[in-house]
Amino acid sequence: MNKMKQLFFVLGIAVSLVACTKEDTGGSNTVVETITVKDLPADTIIGITPGAPPTGGFPFGAGRYTFYSLETNKIIPASDSASNKWDLAFRGTTIATNSGNSGPGAGGAFVFVGLFNDLKTIPADSTFRIDNAPTAFAIPVGSNRAWYVYDGINQLLNPIPGRVLVIRTASGKYAKVEILNYYKGGVTPAATASETIKLRTQRFYTFRFSYQPNGTKTF
Amino acid sequence: MYKWILLLISPSFITTSFAQEKDTLSGNTAITVFTATKTERALSNIAVPVQIIAQKTIQQAGSLRLSDILAEQTGLFMTTGFGTGVSMQGLNPDYTLILIDGEPLIGRTSGVLDLKRITVGNIKQIEIVRGPSSSLYGSEAMAGVINIITDKPRKNSLGVSSRYGSFNTADFNIKGSVRTNRINYQGFGNFYRTDGFSIRPNSRERSIAPIERFTQQHNIGYRFSDRTQLSLNIRHNSELIKNNITVINNGNSINSVGVEKNQDLNATIQLTHKINERVKNTARLYGTQFNSSQELISDNGVPYLDAFKQQFARIENQTDITVNEKLELNVGGGYIHETANSTRYDDSKSIKTNRIGYAFLQSEWKASNKLTFVGGARYDHNELFAAAFSPKLALQYKINNRFSLKASIGRGFKAPDFRQLYLNFTNTAAGSYSVFGTVEAQKIINELNRLGQISSLEPSFYQLSNLQPEFSTGFNLGISFQNEQWQITTNLFRNNIENLIDSRLVAFKTGGAQIFSYLNVKNAFTQGIETDVKFRYNQYWSFSAGYQFLLTGDQSEINAINDGKVFTRDQNGFSRRLNRSEYVGLPNRSKHMANLKVQYDHQSYFANARAVYRSKWATLDTDGNGIYNSNDAFAQGFLQLNMATGKSFNNGLSIQTGIDNLLNYTDVINLPTLPGRIFYLTLSYNILNKNPK
Repeated sequence: MNKMKQLFFVLGIAVSLVACTKEDTGGSNTVVETITVKDLPADTIIGITPGAPPTGGFPFGAGRYTFYSLETNKIIPASDSASNKWDLAFRGTTIATNSGNSGPGAGGAFVFVGLFNDLKTIPADSTFRIDNAPTAFAIPVGSNRAWYVYDGINQLLNPIPGRVLVIRTASGKYAKVEILNYYKGGVTPAATASETIKLRTQRFYTFRFSYQPNGTKTF
Repeated sequence: MYKWILLLISPSFITTSFAQEKDTLSGNTAITVFTATKTERALSNIAVPVQIIAQKTIQQAGSLRLSDILAEQTGLFMTTGFGTGVSMQGLNPDYTLILIDGEPLIGRTSGVLDLKRITVGNIKQIEIVRGPSSSLYGSEAMAGVINIITDKPRKNSLGVSSRYGSFNTADFNIKGSVRTNRINYQGFGNFYRTDGFSIRPNSRERSIAPIERFTQQHNIGYRFSDRTQLSLNIRHNSELIKNNITVINNGNSINSVGVEKNQDLNATIQLTHKINERVKNTARLYGTQFNSSQELISDNGVPYLDAFKQQFARIENQTDITVNEKLELNVGGGYIHETANSTRYDDSKSIKTNRIGYAFLQSEWKASNKLTFVGGARYDHNELFAAAFSPKLALQYKINNRFSLKASIGRGFKAPDFRQLYLNFTNTAAGSYSVFGTVEAQKIINELNRLGQISSLEPSFYQLSNLQPEFSTGFNLGISFQNEQWQITTNLFRNNIENLIDSRLVAFKTGGAQIFSYLNVKNAFTQGIETDVKFRYNQYWSFSAGYQFLLTGDQSEINAINDGKVFTRDQNGFSRRLNRSEYVGLPNRSKHMANLKVQYDHQSYFANARAVYRSKWATLDTDGNGIYNSNDAFAQGFLQLNMATGKSFNNGLSIQTGIDNLLNYTDVINLPTLPGRIFYLTLSYNILNKNPK
């Protein structure tokens, strides 16, 4: 038993050494940085309308977008919403791009089905959609349409694995984004969790992204 | 604990026991089966997988409702949601036909026929036929058929029994029969009530609501001659459920109280006539009606009314012809008139109708002493849907007097039901989503679109068309062994299901609300092995064990996984490709199910212990990839242990007591209707039990 443990320990070190080496040699020059953003609030819920459905009982936030710059990896104040300073804006399940009628930028987006790491070059024939709020965002809103699926039985929202949001930024550069979670702390509440917890912890995005500053479509 | 179990089942402890009819003691007397071939046959001569549950087994298990006893059988499990349904060979409850005395029960909610509507108090035997059987029975017999044969005693008799147990659950039965040379009558009444229970702490809503059920059944037979007999059978069942429902929506809890009423009425007239020694004719007229209503009023004074009414009438004629010693033919045909109306449809006053004409032919050919072929086919002509042709071929080969081989291939179908055509339902309580039946969907969505209320039409909308029946092709291959002590059967099965009807998102309203409808979109398969072993150690002790291994899935999902198009998440939350080995298949299915029974029988007393095991099953797609895999949510596997013991006295009195779910296993989320440990005591008394002179 003890020998077994030792063996596993040794093997474990060997594996981790290999992993480290790989990152050191391949990661620095050619590949762009991947950044994970945690708990980005997106119009978090502040109350529930009085009454019961269908006339009331709906949760609501302040109705404000959270603007984000992929270029500077920062939240942009809402006062700069009519500028090229932001690339994505989050409100509930809506993700707007700085394009079309959402903003003055040269943004756009489409949804790539596949793995984040597999998207090394944006195909030349890709079509970037632009926002036409409120009916048609570049990143479509709705369950099972772009990046999430809504579990109506348990009233939980799950990002769909294998969906990459390919983004053209406000300044016409390229980025790729994978939404990882929609709840605070990056953990989806259990199906059995109370309604209160499900409401209080939602609308907090965890996502990772790679931004290519040189203007090429290669990551 | 272990000691205690031994004590309970050891005879010295037992001071009570139970009546046992001596003629059914060993169960080896020639058991006949009706369901497999729609004619009386000795069980040993059936070419398809058939299982019989005898009255004595039902009584000694302390069962009250049909689901109680079915839950202890190999390969069957009970589903919750829209009542208690049964899943056979891994198919949904929608696809098992439930018959009483050969006639179908109606009144399914969301495809599920609630087996708790059926009392076991007057069941003589339950016949379970596995594998598609539409060649004889038409729609719904895709996974198989469960036929409940009610009591037809050969004696003048009168008996009562009463049972009381946990949760103030009480059950009373009265059963009697009168027989003369020409006329016989059987009457049966059952009353059942329970307070229900909730295993969810601090909840006003009960997972089993307080229920009262009343069932009566009357059967009158008249013998014109040895060749001609007439029978009339009427059954009525009513149930009253006191609802107290809490819906939590966005943190607001809305409480509604009210009652739900369900009523079944079934009536059959049957005339059998032996034209000569070789030809027998049976004509049946059957009518049934199911009425269901739910009236609720919520805290905020909003009333809710839901009503559903279904009627089914059928006339059928069947002729059984013995051509010669080797060949027998069964030929029949019939006509079905079916209607439904509901508040869930566009207009509760508008009655939806379907008419079906059908014909079937079956022939049994004894090619030799060892080899028998059964071939048959049925054609159903539907007014509302495409026609269905359902052939079946089976063979039995008796290798020697111990081993026998069975093989069968058959096709089953299920016609779309009224809900899938006409449902018109908007759930205002949960996101205002709508579900429309296919006939309604195109009409309504086009109209909404014209009014500018549709924001987008999904690809599925353009695929909406007339629904087709769902089809299955089933293969069964079994071998059985039998000697004085052992009885072993094992059966391999595979069901290919095509054209499965599933709900799909077809459009979005301008407010974002979703609209769903039904499409023939899915295929699925189920396959596995079922094994039953019975061992009689001596005249007192016997053992039985059963096991089912089950694999399910959808070939298109497997192809997508193999093509690398399905993803899940790793421990960092990053997407990765799903491996084929992580694929689970259909949800709510356990890969392993097993049961074990130890039975002790003495002249006037018995005791038994029964264990039922189910391995874990997938419940929710939590990783959002739309298929069930090992990264999703599962219900834990569990073991349920039940025990009963009883004694009968010479004066006609018998007493029985039992414990169900001895280990007190509960699962609030996945098994909301399993109450934990319960106790009961049954007293029965045979007032009269005489053979007529």
